[in-house]
Amino acid sequence: MSAGDMKGLPFSAIYGMDNAKKAVLCSMVNPRIRTVLVMGCSGSAKTALSRATGALVGREVVNVPLSVTEEQLFGGMDIEATLREGRPVVQKGILHRADGKILYVDDINLLDQKIAVALTDCVLSGRVVLEREGISSEYGCETTLIATMNMQSSEMSPHLTDRFDLCAYSTFPDDEDGRKEVLRRNMEYQTGESSFVEMYAEEDALLRSKIERAQAILNITKMSDDLLGVTVELTAKVCAEGFRGDLAMINASMALASLNGRDEVMRKDVEEAAALCLVHRRNNSLQPPEPPKSPEQPEQQREQDEEREQPREEGQRQENDEERQDQCPDAPSDQSKCSRSEESDSKLTAEDILFEIGEQFRVIDYLQGAGRKVRRTSSRKGRRAPAESSDTTGRYVGSRSPEGKARDIAFDATIRAAAPYQSSREHGSLAVSINSQDIREKVRERQSGCTILFLVDASGSLGVRKRMSAVKGAVLSMLRDSYVKRDKIGLMAFRRDSAEMVLQPTRSAEYGYMKLAELPTGGKTPLGEALVSACNIMTSYSRSHPGETCHIVVITDGRANVPINRNADANEEVIKLASKISIPNVSWIVIDAGSGYIRFDNAEKLAIKLEGTYFRLDDLDTDRLADNIRMIIR
Amino acid sequence: MDRLLFPFVSIVGQEEMKKALLLNIVDPSIGGVLIKGEKGTAKSTAVRSLMQVLPWRNSVEGCAFNCDPALPGRLCPYCREKTQSGKEMKSVNVRMRVVELPLSATEDRVSGTLDIEHILKTGERKFDPGVLAQANGNLLYIDEVNLLDDHIVDLLLDSAAMGVNYVEREGISFSHPSRFILVGTMNPEEGDLRPQLLDRFGLSVEVKGDRGTKERMEVVRRRLEFDTNPEEYTERHGAESEQLTSRLSKARQILPEVSAGDETLRAIVNMTIHFGIDGHRADITMMKAAKANAAMDGRTSVTKEDVRTVAPLALPHRMRRHPFEDGAFDKEELEKCLQAI
Repeated sequence: MSAGDMKGLPFSAIYGMDNAKKAVLCSMVNPRIRTVLVMGCSGSAKTALSRATGALVGREVVNVPLSVTEEQLFGGMDIEATLREGRPVVQKGILHRADGKILYVDDINLLDQKIAVALTDCVLSGRVVLEREGISSEYGCETTLIATMNMQSSEMSPHLTDRFDLCAYSTFPDDEDGRKEVLRRNMEYQTGESSFVEMYAEEDALLRSKIERAQAILNITKMSDDLLGVTVELTAKVCAEGFRGDLAMINASMALASLNGRDEVMRKDVEEAAALCLVHRRNNSLQPPEPPKSPEQPEQQREQDEEREQPREEGQRQENDEERQDQCPDAPSDQSKCSRSEESDSKLTAEDILFEIGEQFRVIDYLQGAGRKVRRTSSRKGRRAPAESSDTTGRYVGSRSPEGKARDIAFDATIRAAAPYQSSREHGSLAVSINSQDIREKVRERQSGCTILFLVDASGSLGVRKRMSAVKGAVLSMLRDSYVKRDKIGLMAFRRDSAEMVLQPTRSAEYGYMKLAELPTGGKTPLGEALVSACNIMTSYSRSHPGETCHIVVITDGRANVPINRNADANEEVIKLASKISIPNVSWIVIDAGSGYIRFDNAEKLAIKLEGTYFRLDDLDTDRLADNIRMIIR
Repeated sequence: MDRLLFPFVSIVGQEEMKKALLLNIVDPSIGGVLIKGEKGTAKSTAVRSLMQVLPWRNSVEGCAFNCDPALPGRLCPYCREKTQSGKEMKSVNVRMRVVELPLSATEDRVSGTLDIEHILKTGERKFDPGVLAQANGNLLYIDEVNLLDDHIVDLLLDSAAMGVNYVEREGISFSHPSRFILVGTMNPEEGDLRPQLLDRFGLSVEVKGDRGTKERMEVVRRRLEFDTNPEEYTERHGAESEQLTSRLSKARQILPEVSAGDETLRAIVNMTIHFGIDGHRADITMMKAAKANAAMDGRTSVTKEDVRTVAPLALPHRMRRHPFEDGAFDKEELEKCLQAI
């Protein structure tokens, strides 16, 4: 490990990342910019940039680890001092240490949502108010928060993103020269070549004096009413809610002007500021019909918009590619897929058909109706909501007085509870005397697992009009949704005479995809047997996985024709079975795959008997559902 | 060592896995290895038996955090205090070792926590170091890494990113160096790895179980031989193990002198562009691995051959892909790409 390794990469040595650098510099110039978010793919020097900033301006960087507890971050009771003095003594938290410094959070989207919101609150208000464990206190915290987030992983709630004054999307150079330059600089830095260090030390010094000059003229920098008007218009145009966007725009514009050595904000400052302040505040859901791009719309922002749009388009293109490949399995480009379908082809009989996966879409929150709350803002880490863990696994988030005997003792909290009474207690040979009323137990939180078993009807009746393609498309859409939320998914198919567990519950969505693509269609509909098998499997599964929310999603047209009891009527039998089935902690969702003019109500009846939620397949598509609703309202 | 382990040098085949592990020992900053494969493919055996060939390193005597006295910028608070007060730090030569992180580990044991005994006896707070302290300067091994709880993974991410374990919990505010070679094994059927963690692994290898009859027989034969008389078997391979250890030590010594020309730079960059890889971690890792590979061979300049060897280790797990695609890494394409340069 070289000398350079310890010092960190100099600010000027970071190649590219112009937007991110600009955002960070603005916040160093203007103390009214308190929160900066740097977004980017992994390995794009987000972390290096944040650490280099501290070195550049000579402010210490205080790090917030992801495992931080509230009392460490905001403050709590000082155990040692409380023991000594016999009264509660405040211990200020990390935020106190960050006063006048830079506060840094890596991967803020992985931080506990509650803590993240409270943290940004304190930074924005510059004050920390403490009300916990018999402590009531308040202290100031003037700091700049720099947070990073990896765009590939889970998303962040708009509620939290809005709290960032500036947000820069760090793009990395993807051309040969750019990549080579990055690699070369990194090599030189690793070996600690002195010419490298000197060169950038000089550049850093220049930049430092530029910042100092900007700080000096910031207070006399003015912004005309005209430009204020432009600012407000711009924020209104992107439908940013609230006024944080406007204020951030003004503060950033002033910082940019003074960084350029001017005491007057110019139009191009406002345009540059828009790229940093508005992109993350765009309200996508309320976007009005796009007006033709007027010349007054800042170029930078348009660029940013395009940049953001890109990944989605790419995703779509990818999907299209997939479809195309699926439609022509002989395509030489994808041999593995081809051989697989041949393999399964050989197992099929004449009446079996292998349908490609149909159109995919953004699914509605189909599990919500089944008693689950998965709002975007409430899901921690962008996934399913956390649940309190009943055993000793999970993240230690807090403590409480136990009911009855405590099993998982929170020692720190226990000692804190005992601390104020030490002067009046008998001690024996120990320094701390603990009575039973001091005992606290840990409250642990575990990401609540969610398991979804897809019970897919693959009988011949769904082969009509390629309905199976639509079913596969819908299942894959739901699988995608589960992948994002890190649910476990299982797949069970029923056709001919039996129901078959195709995929045991797993977190690997990839396997789900593979199994789905291979799933053949044809034969009769043994719905009754399928219900019984699913019931058996999930009963034992939910018993061995306490704390997990389980759902069974049945996708069928509900028209059974293979009874379990040879003499019974298949459909009557299904209804009878359905009304008897009841699995603790498992909820049912029935998705009606029937189509056409004559709609049977079998699936709907099944849902009622299972006491589950009922959806029509077409209604799962967020966009289409919205369209339907709009039509009804009209 | 209480129980003898099957010698690393006697593992049949699995060249990529062995290569990836050894390269990391030569340059720990490569960032570790993720080993994917089905059960019973000698994943764990290989990692654990590395113990016998790991090189020696310097450590401050009695330091719970395994501080390296040669790195004054990366000391734990206790060693830092010693240096500042001018006390002498005694250096001892210890062998790098494999520290295991069990799946059932709780977060306080991973990151370290409040020393309960100490506070009860004295009323003073003290930090009780955890697995991340033991792992500093060593190899951290996680079996079934994809099954690790999310909140434990968060702890690892922090340390892997900064080389420092920041502890802010249970009334403790403490930080200590924690830089380790992260080695994880997983069975991909059990589920995917979180993308953040996946990207932290410098190299990845896929281990396959299907081998020819001849090779299978050899595997079984050696295993039986070892099980019959472990001491004798280990001793018989002792010289070979020693040889590997000294080769690794030499490689570590000459690594700082290994240089790479513009051709190497171009080869690497063209490859990452060709395979559409985001971020710069792949480029940097490949460069480091190529240098380590050259050092292993006792050379001080990187050749195209080095890049060819390490590319299949550094690229596959970083390919831009969506969760529902077959993201197979095409070696032929790699070859084409290399030829074009």
